[in-house]
Amino acid sequence: MGITRRELLVGGAAVAAGVSVSAPFFQPRYRINRRPRRSRVALLRLEDYSRPIDEMLFLGLCLFPINVQGKTVLLKPNLVDYIPGHAINTHHRLVVAAAEAFRRLGARKVLVGEGAGHQRDTQLLLSESGYEQELALDSIPFVDLNRDELLHRPLGASYTGLNHLWLPRTILGSDFIVSMPKVKTHHWSGVTLSMKNMFGVVPGQKYGWPKNILHWRGIHESILDVCATVPIHFVIADGVMAMEGDGPLNGSPRPLGTVVLADDPVAADATCARLMGLEPDRIPHIQEAARFLGNSLPALIDQGGEVLRRPEVPFQVVPEFQHIRAL
Amino acid sequence: MAGCSQTALEPTVYSMLALGPDLEKNYQRAVQCLLDCQNPNGSWPSFIGDDPEGAWTTALALIALANHRGEARSRCRGFRWLLQSAGKESSWLWRWKFRTADRHVRFDSDKFGWPWQPDTNSWVVPTAFAILALRRPPRSSALEQSEFRLRRGTEMLLDRVCPGGGWNAGNGIVYGRALVPHPDDTAVALLALKDHPHEPAVKTSLAWLADNTSTMSAPWSLAWSALALAAHSRCVRRLLSSLADHVRPIDIRDNATLAVLALALDCERSLTLLTS
Repeated sequence: MGITRRELLVGGAAVAAGVSVSAPFFQPRYRINRRPRRSRVALLRLEDYSRPIDEMLFLGLCLFPINVQGKTVLLKPNLVDYIPGHAINTHHRLVVAAAEAFRRLGARKVLVGEGAGHQRDTQLLLSESGYEQELALDSIPFVDLNRDELLHRPLGASYTGLNHLWLPRTILGSDFIVSMPKVKTHHWSGVTLSMKNMFGVVPGQKYGWPKNILHWRGIHESILDVCATVPIHFVIADGVMAMEGDGPLNGSPRPLGTVVLADDPVAADATCARLMGLEPDRIPHIQEAARFLGNSLPALIDQGGEVLRRPEVPFQVVPEFQHIRAL
Repeated sequence: MAGCSQTALEPTVYSMLALGPDLEKNYQRAVQCLLDCQNPNGSWPSFIGDDPEGAWTTALALIALANHRGEARSRCRGFRWLLQSAGKESSWLWRWKFRTADRHVRFDSDKFGWPWQPDTNSWVVPTAFAILALRRPPRSSALEQSEFRLRRGTEMLLDRVCPGGGWNAGNGIVYGRALVPHPDDTAVALLALKDHPHEPAVKTSLAWLADNTSTMSAPWSLAWSALALAAHSRCVRRLLSSLADHVRPIDIRDNATLAVLALALDCERSLTLLTS
C-alpha cells in the first residue's frame, strides 16, 4: 500500500516536531570542556593542625607542575559560620600554609576570598574562626566576596536555567583559583567538597544570605553551572578533621588525618568521597561534572602521596543519602 | 567595599541615614541616586547595573526615602512592589509541599515574609526591613493595604525564632537541630518587633542579645545590637562607649559597617529614622 503525499507531509511534520522537542534533552548542557586527559591527586598525612604544615604542603605542591610565577592566586576556603566545637570551616592554619607555599612558588599576590553563606557579619566570622589574627600576622589580604564589585558573566553551562550570574571582580580578576573545602557531608547535596565550596563566590549582596536562588534552582545543577563559569585551578581539601552526619553545620567531627591536593576538582571530590567511604558516581554533581569538568574514574587519576584507604565504616549521612554510602 | 567603584544600595541607604539631611549636598546626591536607579516595576536593585526584577533593598530604599517627604510617587511605586513581593512558600503549592513532603525545615509556611530576591523563600533580614518600610506608608490609605502583610511578616519572625532566643538567617530548627542565632540578624528582627515587647520570643531574644554583646568585638554586630537594645529601651551606654573606644573607623573597610557604626553612636536620632 502506497503512502499518499498528505500522509508523507503529516508524518514528516510529526518527526520534525518530535526532534525539535526532544533534541534539547540529548544536547550537552555545558558549553565548555575542561576535562583533562589525566588528573593528578596527592594525599598528604596530617594528624592534627598543631603539626608543622608549611613544609609538608609546599613539598606536596611540588608534586604538581604548577606555574603561579607572577600570578594572582586566590585561596577560597570554606568559611560558613562559627559554632564552637564544630568542624565547619577550613582550618586557618592550612590556609596560611597554602598562602606561604604559593608565595614561595613565585605568586605575585596571594589573597583569601570568601562570601559566607549564612553569616552577614564577615568580620565576626573571621575573628571567631581564628582567621583575622592569622591572616594579619602573615599580611595576607582577605576579600569579602559578598560585598565586592560585581561583573555580569554568562554561564558556562545551563543546568539551572539561569542565563548569567553576577560575580565578584576579585574572582574574575584572579589568575589561579584554589578551592580549599572542608571535607564534609551535606544534608542537601550529600557532600560539600571543592565544587560545592564554590557557592561562596556567589555574592550575598546580590543573591542574599543564604544564596537561596541556588537552592531553588537545584543544588547539584547550581554547583555545575557555577563551576562551569568559574574555573578551579587547584584544590587543597582540609580532611584533617572532617565532618559527618548532618553537615554542613551540625554534623559530628570525624578525624580523617588527610589533606587532599589535586589539579582537577572532579578528581579531588571523587577521591575525597572515596576517603569518606562514599560512592562518587552516586553523587549527581560529581557524576555529571565528570563529563566536562574533570575525571572521577580512578583509572584516569594519577595518585601520589599516601595510599587511598576507604574507611571501614563510611561517613554517616542523613537518611536521604544512605544510598551514596559504599556498603 | 571602600575603594569599590560600584554603588551598592545597602551602604548607600545606611550612609544616607547616618549623614542625615544636614549634610545637604551629599544627602541630595544620595537621594537622587536612589531615584535614578529605581526599576521600572517600582523596585530597587541591590547595586547600580543590577538586573531589573528587584531586590530586598527596595525596603531599605523606602526607609531612606520615608524621611524625604517630596518623593511620594516614587515611594508609592516601591511600596506597591513590596506589597506584592512575598516568599515563595506563600503560594499554596509550596505550602502544601512544606506541610507534606518536605519536613526537614520546621516552620509554619502560612506565616510568610519577604525574600532576598524574587522566587525564593522568606528570610529574617529582608522580612524585618520590609516591616520597617511598610510601617511608614507614602499615603495613609496604603496603611490598610499593608496591614495583612505586616501581620504575616511579624508572625513569620516570631515563628522562626531559635529555641533559646535570637534569630539565624531563616529557620530556628533544621533537621531537628536548633540553629545558633546571629547577633546582627537578631538585632534587625528586634528592630522590626519594636512594638511587640511582650512577646516571649522578643523577651528571650533581647536577653540573648544582651548576654552576647559582652563578648563581641565585631563592629557590625555590635552596632546593630546597640540599635536594637536601645529600641527596646535597654541601657546601651556601656556598649556605645565600648564601640567608641575600641573600634577605629579607619580599620573598617566597608562603608555599610562604617555607616551602621555611625547610626549606633547616634542611636536616638537613628531610631527615629529607622523605626518611627
